[in-house]
Amino acid sequence: MNLIAATQKPIITDSHCFHCGELNQANSIIYQKHSFCCSGCQQVYQLLSDHSLEDYYACDVVPGRSPHEQRFGFLDHLIFREKLITFSKGGISKVTFNLPGIHCRSCLYLLENLHKLNAAILKTNLNFTKKELSVWFEESEISLGELANFLASLGYEPFIDSEESKTSRHQNLKEENALFMKLGIAGFCAGNAMLFSFPEYLGIEDGELKHLFGYLNLFLGTIAVFYAGSDYFKNVWSHLKLKKITIELPILLGILVGYSRSVYEILTHTGAGYIDSVSGLLFFLLIGKWFQQKSFDFLSFERKYTSYFPLTITKIVQGLEVLAPLQEIAVGDHLVIRNQEIIPADAILYRGQSHIDYSFVTGESEKIKIQVGDSIYAGGKHTGEIVEIVIIKELKQSYLTQLWEEQVFKDPLHKTENWENFANKVGIYFTFGLMSLALVVGIYWLINDPNKWQNSVVSILVIACPCALAISYPFTLGHGMRWLAKFNFFIKDTQSLERLAQIDTIVFDKTGTLTLSNNEGAKEHFIRPLTHDEWSNLYSLVQQSTHPIARQTKKWIQNIGFAQMTKAEMFSEISGKGLEAYFNGIQYRVGSAPFTGHSSKTKNMYQISESQLYLQMNHEPLGYIEFPWENRPGVEWMLRQLQSNYNVYLLSGDKKEHATHLLDWFPALESCRFECSPMDKMNFIKSLQGQGKKVAMIGDGLNDAGAIKQAHIGIAVSDDHMHFTPASDAILQGSSLANLPKFLYFAQDGLKLIKLSFIISLIYNAIGLSFAIQGNLSPLIAAILMPLNSISMLLIANAGMNYHGKSLKRQYKSYN
Amino acid sequence: MIGLSLSMSIGFVIAFIWSIKTGQQEDLTTPAMRILMDEKKTKNRNL
Repeated sequence: MNLIAATQKPIITDSHCFHCGELNQANSIIYQKHSFCCSGCQQVYQLLSDHSLEDYYACDVVPGRSPHEQRFGFLDHLIFREKLITFSKGGISKVTFNLPGIHCRSCLYLLENLHKLNAAILKTNLNFTKKELSVWFEESEISLGELANFLASLGYEPFIDSEESKTSRHQNLKEENALFMKLGIAGFCAGNAMLFSFPEYLGIEDGELKHLFGYLNLFLGTIAVFYAGSDYFKNVWSHLKLKKITIELPILLGILVGYSRSVYEILTHTGAGYIDSVSGLLFFLLIGKWFQQKSFDFLSFERKYTSYFPLTITKIVQGLEVLAPLQEIAVGDHLVIRNQEIIPADAILYRGQSHIDYSFVTGESEKIKIQVGDSIYAGGKHTGEIVEIVIIKELKQSYLTQLWEEQVFKDPLHKTENWENFANKVGIYFTFGLMSLALVVGIYWLINDPNKWQNSVVSILVIACPCALAISYPFTLGHGMRWLAKFNFFIKDTQSLERLAQIDTIVFDKTGTLTLSNNEGAKEHFIRPLTHDEWSNLYSLVQQSTHPIARQTKKWIQNIGFAQMTKAEMFSEISGKGLEAYFNGIQYRVGSAPFTGHSSKTKNMYQISESQLYLQMNHEPLGYIEFPWENRPGVEWMLRQLQSNYNVYLLSGDKKEHATHLLDWFPALESCRFECSPMDKMNFIKSLQGQGKKVAMIGDGLNDAGAIKQAHIGIAVSDDHMHFTPASDAILQGSSLANLPKFLYFAQDGLKLIKLSFIISLIYNAIGLSFAIQGNLSPLIAAILMPLNSISMLLIANAGMNYHGKSLKRQYKSYN
Repeated sequence: MIGLSLSMSIGFVIAFIWSIKTGQQEDLTTPAMRILMDEKKTKNRNL
């Protein structure tokens, strides 16, 4: 939602809320000549206008967000105070909140003017890209919980993540800065070393200056190699300890040999060395690393179930309500659950009555009525009055959460350790090839001309650096990530993008991924328009049924604003056919075409029965409402495309009957699995992998979390809030899902480009080696060839990916 | 000349290190938006 809002301007009429832009219901509130969808929006407007902050609405999109329920009182608990507050002195504290609702510059305007709304807030500072707001406030005046509630009341609900502590975020920032610093220093060293090497290349002979420049170069080179290049030492060493050879080994070897040779030449006044080439190479390598490190700060790829769960629970201990952290739940505890709270562990309802919404777990938004004594699974959201539950399973052993106790969740490297990436595979051959070449050439010269062996071996190791892989790789894949992000496909890191290009099997989740419970496109086919009362009667009638189409109709009537309960008489449900009832003596019947006296027309296979609701009134057929696309738009086309190149599977937690409109697109019955538990889904992926397949899993809810984690690449599809996705390798916005085949081809094009660059770089290497083997590689040739190689890799990666990206842009189609 | 060029470039490096240490590179978007924010309109009435 927030991403769309930034690019599209909704048409604002009186029928839309002035604050949040939602379609107004029939009972909208008029205040100061503006209409509002709810009192919450109106109150925010009133608050802002009272403090003359109306400029908030001057933005080009509807800035407001409907305020949320205020439920952050729990933050006052000491545990959270310690976790969240980063600084506290003299009564002034600083806290940083993550506000997913931030989306336009009006947000900036409002959030940085908070001190005008509340005197206890001294200063605020917004980081727009990270969607983080730092607040300096007086704790004696406003508590942490009140502050969070205040933000929520403005429509900016803070997102509190129990997993992510302030230290890990701090750590990330530190690493980022360290790399940036190294990059800057390497650039400085490289530039100046080139400058000092110039006289040598131009053949200017000045003994004294030459020596001075030599020493200056040595100084710069030492900084470049041992400070800017320090990561290479660390990485190569840790890989060698694991007996692994990566692409970094030949790079480090080249750098070290070049550096030692230069030290020797400069100190003995025998030459100028390769300092400029070596530090230049390091500079390019670091640019690559830095470019690769693109992170989407506003997304999180690491969410666990605890991110969705409450952070504290209310226990009943000896008749008193006690606040305790989530982890302290034990079997037999009595918990108090309030409206809209999430059940933390499997439990039994002890007192009260509840409607549980399992949409978090299953993606299916159906409320289930729970009576005293019924069991409730963790992850369900309670609606209704306050209830009391008894915990029957430990937090970690609940139906949903036990998934996270599986091995895949404990081993962060399981996706990469068995994955031979192209660079490292080639890196091994490259290293051995280079070593044997150096050995052969060295022996040859030892026999034929012992003066030359040293020179030639050094030159071979210096010049034959696998630049293509070390530079082209991060640039090409980094570009790829940036391009895909433009189309709302966010990839965690470059390795994930590479894996994406190599998959051969795609597994889809059904509910929420391929299908949508979206009623926006409903079409009315009535012989005359229905009156307000008739709509309300229809609403009251479909209310009685749990059939999917009845639920959809109900939502549709809510959407158009006629959702009022009227009194039904003589209600009856005829299973498999429809519903009947009388309103003020008038007969209403809804259901299938024959049941309501319509002649049934044959339609496209995937549109039949389930997507139409026929209406009969007073024994007279009136027409029907159609929900033509229960599938996400464009999905059929996408499946067709994918099936020609990939093995495509469908997994669903639903019964088979609910997928009739999709079955056409999965002709082979063995490619569909129904009634899968979250664990089944994960095991299905595992079995595919057991057959040697490279699997992509595309899902949405927490019930897919295991499969997403298990797959070679797990893609989480998200519709509104990019924030609520299970841990994954990539996050894809729903409206872009149908473009998946194009994204896959794009990723493959990226890998092809890398291979092409590799060949080109080998040509450069061959030229360089032809000098090196003869033992007469001059520093000048090295100084020309090496940067030229690096720069051409950079250019190819840029131009190639931009070309592919632009053609992707032409083909891209957003489905909203 | 050499001393001059060297001291200049070292000056740049120090400026660069300072900019990182003070966190100027951490957020490159928000300040750009902040500068576009108008001050309160009420001020203009006094002119």
